[in-house]
Amino acid sequence: MSRRSAGELSRYLLEGHLSHRGCINGRRLSSRAAPLWPSLRHPYALRHLHTQPKPAATGVPQPAHVPLRKQLKEQAKQAKKQGKKKSKGDSQTVDGWELTVGIEIHAQLNTSRKLFSPATTSFNDEPNSHVALFDVAMPGSQPLFQKETLIPALRAALALNCEIQPVSRFDRKHYFWWDQPSGYQITQFYEPFAKKGHITLLARDGISAEDGESVTVGIKQVQLEQDTAKTLAQTGSVHWLDFNRVGVPLIEIITEPEMHHPRTAAVLVRKIQLLLNTVDSCVSGMETGGLRADVNVSVRRADDGSKTLGTRTEIKNLSTIKAVEDAIIAERDRQIRELEAGNVIAGETRGWTIGSKETRRLRGKEGEVDYRYMPDPDLPPLVIGNDLVQSLQQSLAVLPDTELDRLVMHYGLTPKDALSLITLDNGSRVQYFYRVLALLEGKLRADADLAELPDAASYSTLAANWILHELGRLTTYKAGPLASGDLSFTQLGECAQVPEEDLSQLLYHLHRKDITGKVAKELLIAVYLKELEGGILEAINANDLWFKEISKEEYNALAESAAEGEDKVLEEFADEQKYPQGKLMYLVGKMMRLGPTERIDPATAESAMRLWIERFHGRQ
Amino acid sequence: MTAAIVRRRALIRTTWREAYSQPSIGQVPLRRSLSTFNHFVASTKVEPKSPLPPLLPNAKPFRLAVKDNIATEEFPTQCASAILGEHASPFEATIVRQLRLRGANVVGKTNMDEFGMGSHSVNSIHGPVRNPLAATGEDVSAGGSSGGSAVAVALDEADIALGTDTGGSVRLPAAYTGITGYKPSYGMLSRFGVVPYANSLDTVGLLARDVEPIRELVFDTGLYQEHDPHDPTSLNVEARQRCSKACPPTLPSLSQLTIGIPVEYNIDELDPSIRAAWVATASVLESQGARVVPVSLPSIKEALCAYYILAPAEASSNLAKYDGVRYGVRGPGGDAAGETLYSEARGAGFGAEVKRRILLGTYSLSSEAMDNYFIQAQKIRRLIQQDFDRVFKLDNPLYEPRQFDLSEMSADTALEDKQGPAQVDFLLSPTAPTYPPKLSDIQKRSSVDVYMNDVLTVPASLAGLPAISVPVKAEQGHQFPAGIQLIAQYWDDRRLLALADKVVKLMAA
Repeated sequence: MSRRSAGELSRYLLEGHLSHRGCINGRRLSSRAAPLWPSLRHPYALRHLHTQPKPAATGVPQPAHVPLRKQLKEQAKQAKKQGKKKSKGDSQTVDGWELTVGIEIHAQLNTSRKLFSPATTSFNDEPNSHVALFDVAMPGSQPLFQKETLIPALRAALALNCEIQPVSRFDRKHYFWWDQPSGYQITQFYEPFAKKGHITLLARDGISAEDGESVTVGIKQVQLEQDTAKTLAQTGSVHWLDFNRVGVPLIEIITEPEMHHPRTAAVLVRKIQLLLNTVDSCVSGMETGGLRADVNVSVRRADDGSKTLGTRTEIKNLSTIKAVEDAIIAERDRQIRELEAGNVIAGETRGWTIGSKETRRLRGKEGEVDYRYMPDPDLPPLVIGNDLVQSLQQSLAVLPDTELDRLVMHYGLTPKDALSLITLDNGSRVQYFYRVLALLEGKLRADADLAELPDAASYSTLAANWILHELGRLTTYKAGPLASGDLSFTQLGECAQVPEEDLSQLLYHLHRKDITGKVAKELLIAVYLKELEGGILEAINANDLWFKEISKEEYNALAESAAEGEDKVLEEFADEQKYPQGKLMYLVGKMMRLGPTERIDPATAESAMRLWIERFHGRQ
Repeated sequence: MTAAIVRRRALIRTTWREAYSQPSIGQVPLRRSLSTFNHFVASTKVEPKSPLPPLLPNAKPFRLAVKDNIATEEFPTQCASAILGEHASPFEATIVRQLRLRGANVVGKTNMDEFGMGSHSVNSIHGPVRNPLAATGEDVSAGGSSGGSAVAVALDEADIALGTDTGGSVRLPAAYTGITGYKPSYGMLSRFGVVPYANSLDTVGLLARDVEPIRELVFDTGLYQEHDPHDPTSLNVEARQRCSKACPPTLPSLSQLTIGIPVEYNIDELDPSIRAAWVATASVLESQGARVVPVSLPSIKEALCAYYILAPAEASSNLAKYDGVRYGVRGPGGDAAGETLYSEARGAGFGAEVKRRILLGTYSLSSEAMDNYFIQAQKIRRLIQQDFDRVFKLDNPLYEPRQFDLSEMSADTALEDKQGPAQVDFLLSPTAPTYPPKLSDIQKRSSVDVYMNDVLTVPASLAGLPAISVPVKAEQGHQFPAGIQLIAQYWDDRRLLALADKVVKLMAA
């Protein structure tokens, strides 16, 4: 595979992971205006909270200087070149055609041992340092099923609402490849350990608007299987093999072919990744190669009365969430083009290169491998006791949907922030949030000045805002002492760079308005750069950073001086129906400039200005 | 670790590769070796990497020959195949270690059919094994695939030899060379370190001139009680105890035993003088008070077909690892785009019989053939196992006791009373249908004709039952003894060995 530039890759990764215009906010207004379902029939009463109407997605941003006529011409040319490909905005459907998608997801299980050998699993260790005899198929070695690997696999299957099979078996799937030392992969073909599950995708997950409030996708089966060795391509025709990865346990999740829109399919992959992460089944995501997806795509005419699906093609090894959506769109459009030209679709395996516009043929039916599945004669059946299943079910972590609801309902976060919090850093960011919040709450509770604890939403939204946005800002600097910095979170939510104690202390003072936002931001940078020696409180005291707010009278005087000579502006406040908020802010800005900035609270200044104007117009 | 192994060249003769790489269709070219009988492939020890723990208290020193498909640290392990020509195992098979702790001194690795595939020990890069019982100047089969192990014992160059028995590979050479060959119950002796041919059938077997040393080694030293955690098919300790409880510990007097003569074993191809030896053995047992009854195992007729579906199917899978990447020598070409990477290495490394069985297995596992071949063969295997359970008095300790409905049995089954047909303690049959053939005759036979040789040994393998072949003197003046086979219920090995010993002594008298 050819190498992609880091920039290109990161754009895809970022867009696939936390889309700015795709999955989360990309819902069009029209879908709000005309819901497909009467909302009453829906169990998801949170819908109104979660939907964030945003202007229609604009698709690929156009350079401003290109004249419109030229743009249109370009577009037409592109369209001709690529068939009937439409702009990104309405790429979810094609008139007259129905798309059907099924997905297979391979995920590395979070276990310390390999599936059939006691060798330890590792991520970036010295190559070929964790290899047992069986891993390299040493003649005379035998597989030994490692019971511990079952636990994360069962958690995953339970999170996907599967029926756990009391007896399942292992089969050999034969094919020759250098990364497969035994010439076969041990998997569960005939009798997988989990079957008949389902996953529900909600509108807030970012599914295609056409899918309405929610869509439930069936999980056909979940099976245990071995990973292959890692190939490290060298110059020329040399390949190095790292057998540390061979035999690492994977689960393969196979969905029913029940998705009809590309974005919904991409959302499914992202949600499964999140689910696996939450229940601690799978710790590394797509970015690190811990999760890969194959998609099966077929199309048929919408007016086709028969129940049979069109011939499907399989696109192998998609490594980002965006690639899932893009590859499905490209493959659907290719199939439609072929069918409209009177050709037939060949059942074949196709590939996708990140950034390309077309899928490419890898091998046709005649080149398909007959895997010759055979029950492994060395491995006994896998018998899973109901007591184990029960116990894992009870101890299963709170699933993302439940957690998201709680963050929105109880903590008052926006659905967007809540989703970001859960998704970031493989779920560690939200753990950090809980830690900071607990400390902040403790400080507020201990506060003698407060008769009772303030509304939870008031300080939890503040904390979420800082943990998402202010912390995020720390790592965006391109130069200076903050350049190339990184925040790391442990799985338990500890952050070495910004300890929760420091952040909660800072937020405590900020919430009480003991310090200004500006001071707080500077303090955060100081914490991050490890410039504080004695903690937040000491730093504030030592540098006298306390917010000494000016008096009510001084605010009033400031408002008066700001309004001086602004008769024209003040006139606009005469009409009570249309309050000119912009003008108000202009006057507040003027107040800030006239007074001692570090002693003015913008919110108080705003209400002082408002009050002054009301009096000016004689309304109070 | 592994790179060093590949680099460490095994001790092999230098001429085999030229001899072997000659294009040959059908039979492997036979070639003379320095030894008269060509039964050892390597007898120069290399220093083992790990020291042997102290011997067990009752260890008695003895000479052990080991079949070349059982991993040893002291000798290379090549399975008589060119594809493992440079393979030295980095570990020792559990069974070799267990025997060394009991006083075994490994004297050498023995010649065999490549990967255990064959009935005459001729499919070998080292050339064929020759039978020491043959007249001078005559090249006669020593039986296979553990032919080298049998010859080492027959020539008194080893006290005990390890073989592997997948469909008769220990019993058949024992019969041809006039010694004792014992295939234990499946799961009793560890297979860890045994290069698999067909895992669900493979067992480690023991060869000796007499029955007694085998019985001592397996039972008196407690070998049968030892579970090997490295072998997933080795019975665990609880299962061993349960099975041992289900089987009587000692053999009663012959007057309390019923011996079954399975009528399906009386095939047309059976050599008349072997049939006579069979009858003679049965008569002697009867004269000593044993009850001898005919029994029917109707599914046995399909056993050979089922065996030659299942064993090649598993073999095709097991041998997929020899692809020239980690095991085997890669050819000069084949790596360019559009060419295959593996076929050249496999084409050059495997012998004709191994290729034939890989192709057979590849076909029977293919998606079109799976249902008609592999699945059907597994069903037959289950029926055969049930046939055995039906005729044995003892219940199979691995299964819940099963009620056999008369309506399920074939109409011509002879009933003893209204309860059903007679039930027996042991089955008595010949081991092989003929005396050992000349090597020149084998070359003329088709491969299917050669497969026919296993017809009497595969049923016990398919059912996982213990079986033993002992030599019985054939009619006056015959050059070779006849091999007589005894089969017992699962885990009834101890009584089987005791009866075999009795049969040998009675027939010698």
